[in-house]
Amino acid sequence: MKILIFACKWCGMIGADGAGKKKIQLPSEFRVIPVECAALVEPDAVIRAFASGMTGVAVLGCHLGGCRFNHANHAAIKRQELLKTLLDATGIDGKRLLISFGTAHEDHQYAEVVKTFFEELEAMPSTAAWTS
Amino acid sequence: MSGIAVFLCRCFGEVNRVIDLDSLEKKSEKNDAVVFSSICESLCLTDDVEKAALRIRESGADKVVIGGCSHLARGSAIIDGLLQQGMKRSAIGLVDLREACAWIHANEPAKATEKAWDLIRMEIAGLHHRRESDNVTVGVCPEAMIVGAGPAGLSAARTLAQLGFKVHLVERGSSPGGMLNLISHVYPSDEKASEKIKVFVDEVENNPLIHFYPKAKINSITGFAGNFNVQVSSSAGEQRLRVGAVILASGARVWLPHGLYRYGKLTNVITQMELERQFIKGPREVNTAVFIQCVGARNQERPYCATMCCPSSLKNAVRIKKENRDALVFIVHRDIMTPGSVLEAYYRNALAKGVQFIRFEDTNPPEILGEGHVEGVEVFDSISGMKRKLACDLVVLSTPLIRNDDNVKLAGMLGLQVDRYGFFSEIYPLHPLETRMDGIFICGSARWPVSSDNAMVQGEGAAAKAAALLGRETVSALSLSRVPGEKLGHASVNATTCTGCGNCVAVCPFDACRLQKMGRKSISRVNKLRCKACGNCVSVCPNGTVQLPEHDYQAVGAMIKEAFGEEGAI
Repeated sequence: MKILIFACKWCGMIGADGAGKKKIQLPSEFRVIPVECAALVEPDAVIRAFASGMTGVAVLGCHLGGCRFNHANHAAIKRQELLKTLLDATGIDGKRLLISFGTAHEDHQYAEVVKTFFEELEAMPSTAAWTS
Repeated sequence: MSGIAVFLCRCFGEVNRVIDLDSLEKKSEKNDAVVFSSICESLCLTDDVEKAALRIRESGADKVVIGGCSHLARGSAIIDGLLQQGMKRSAIGLVDLREACAWIHANEPAKATEKAWDLIRMEIAGLHHRRESDNVTVGVCPEAMIVGAGPAGLSAARTLAQLGFKVHLVERGSSPGGMLNLISHVYPSDEKASEKIKVFVDEVENNPLIHFYPKAKINSITGFAGNFNVQVSSSAGEQRLRVGAVILASGARVWLPHGLYRYGKLTNVITQMELERQFIKGPREVNTAVFIQCVGARNQERPYCATMCCPSSLKNAVRIKKENRDALVFIVHRDIMTPGSVLEAYYRNALAKGVQFIRFEDTNPPEILGEGHVEGVEVFDSISGMKRKLACDLVVLSTPLIRNDDNVKLAGMLGLQVDRYGFFSEIYPLHPLETRMDGIFICGSARWPVSSDNAMVQGEGAAAKAAALLGRETVSALSLSRVPGEKLGHASVNATTCTGCGNCVAVCPFDACRLQKMGRKSISRVNKLRCKACGNCVSVCPNGTVQLPEHDYQAVGAMIKEAFGEEGAI
């Protein structure tokens, strides 16, 4: 299991920090790249992550309407949803890309998002064939 | 010699209880980019940072990776300390080993150590590509423009002028006062509105710092916090103004209840504002009056409470009672909204004066009786559960304030957002009166319907916030006008590869990207002071022309490669 999480500094990272402070135990196979805003996550970066053998990629941003950069996260969600359909078309299940806006800004919610994503990915077929 | 210094913080056992820091130290020493690696007990106490900075200088390293606690815990303090020691922000990498690794994987020490090593390598790889945006410093123009000369705008103008800033007061009407011109008395002080305006008008006329532009219209606003260029056409002709801050106090307008309660069909069914106008002309003898509250407010279309209609009804009901002690005055309401000690006393005063209150449900609104002229109001009293007929010769409808018609246009011009009712949105709740555009502030009913005294309070608040910006000598591209040093950087465009597709222009939430003609092609230009580094333009650029130096695509790519395991991926 290899999961890459792009977390916005103003929501996802705050949730991650809170989860750490509460010492909520999480599976260890995920790595977080903090970004200024979810809008900064290039679709290209997500594709590169899959190309490097990630089983799942998550983009965590702020509530729609609660972005400190006006409507930046609205644009981001549209882009990532579009990318999902592209992933579907290329044979990578679009469900391997988790887009979550506003559901990771608190510690327990962050932990919940990470855990459920793990469970969902475990239920999916193995990706060992991609990298062989 | 250049290279990376790695500091691993034990945090008094919090980190190394789970993560094997000694093995991490050895591994990172072997890394080619790393000059030295060191484990320390803490990095956030007394002179820890100074000592670390000294070691970095002595070793000749120019970058540092700190493995310790999260940004929100002590990380940002460590970074600030290193910045004070003369390091560059782009040369400092913070790896969160405590919150994001040790504490959440306490039961799997082996895996946690593996993850910690990955995280450190990710940061080392990222640092290699990270750059810093260039800084631009621009002087602040110590003048302000205030849009709207109502109570909010006038008090903002007065406050700024008292602080010594030149104020351009732009008003759509021909005289200052705004909505105060339309009402006879203001609550809760029961002063004459005309007298209240007079104080301000004297100030506007006599203070040389306040320039008043009657019958003005704003044609365009460009620029950024500290330097806005405004084109205003007023009765004095077209003018160009250069201002440092803009305070929006454009107010709201009264909604007219056409089609409700037979307004416009029966002569004595009037709105609160029409009653005010009659009171301005002189005392009005009324024998029986019914005030109907929440007309067109707190419904599906306008679910908000306009806050000033209940106190206005109380004010006018008491006034009718004052002129004619035997008058029968009913206030038919859904809930009387009188928050705060002053307004609650105002309500109690109306009760004591003999004003009668009848509550109705919004599902069962009152009906107006009569042909040609008002004879009475039939209302189902939801508290007693009985239908009541109130004979009356005057019905006053309390209608809410709604947005001005040009709010959307103005918001588009300024790059602001309006809420679903058309009022300007502020940064709720942490930065009241501030908008998402630096240097533009809102107050009064442009933000939300408020009473005149609240509008004045907000005007002074907005003026104080504007003064905090205008008092600064310069603004720079790497700081926000609000809190210095908060901004990550700004996007930069490679002029040779830009094709001028305009994707970034379409997507920028702050109107910071513009297309500019360059010879035969047009290229995108980023206003470094408007840009807030959200990265939308970076994501939509088809060929990577727009980049955020602090978050380079090469850095992200390198981090992804290092994310799982040393050997990297395919």
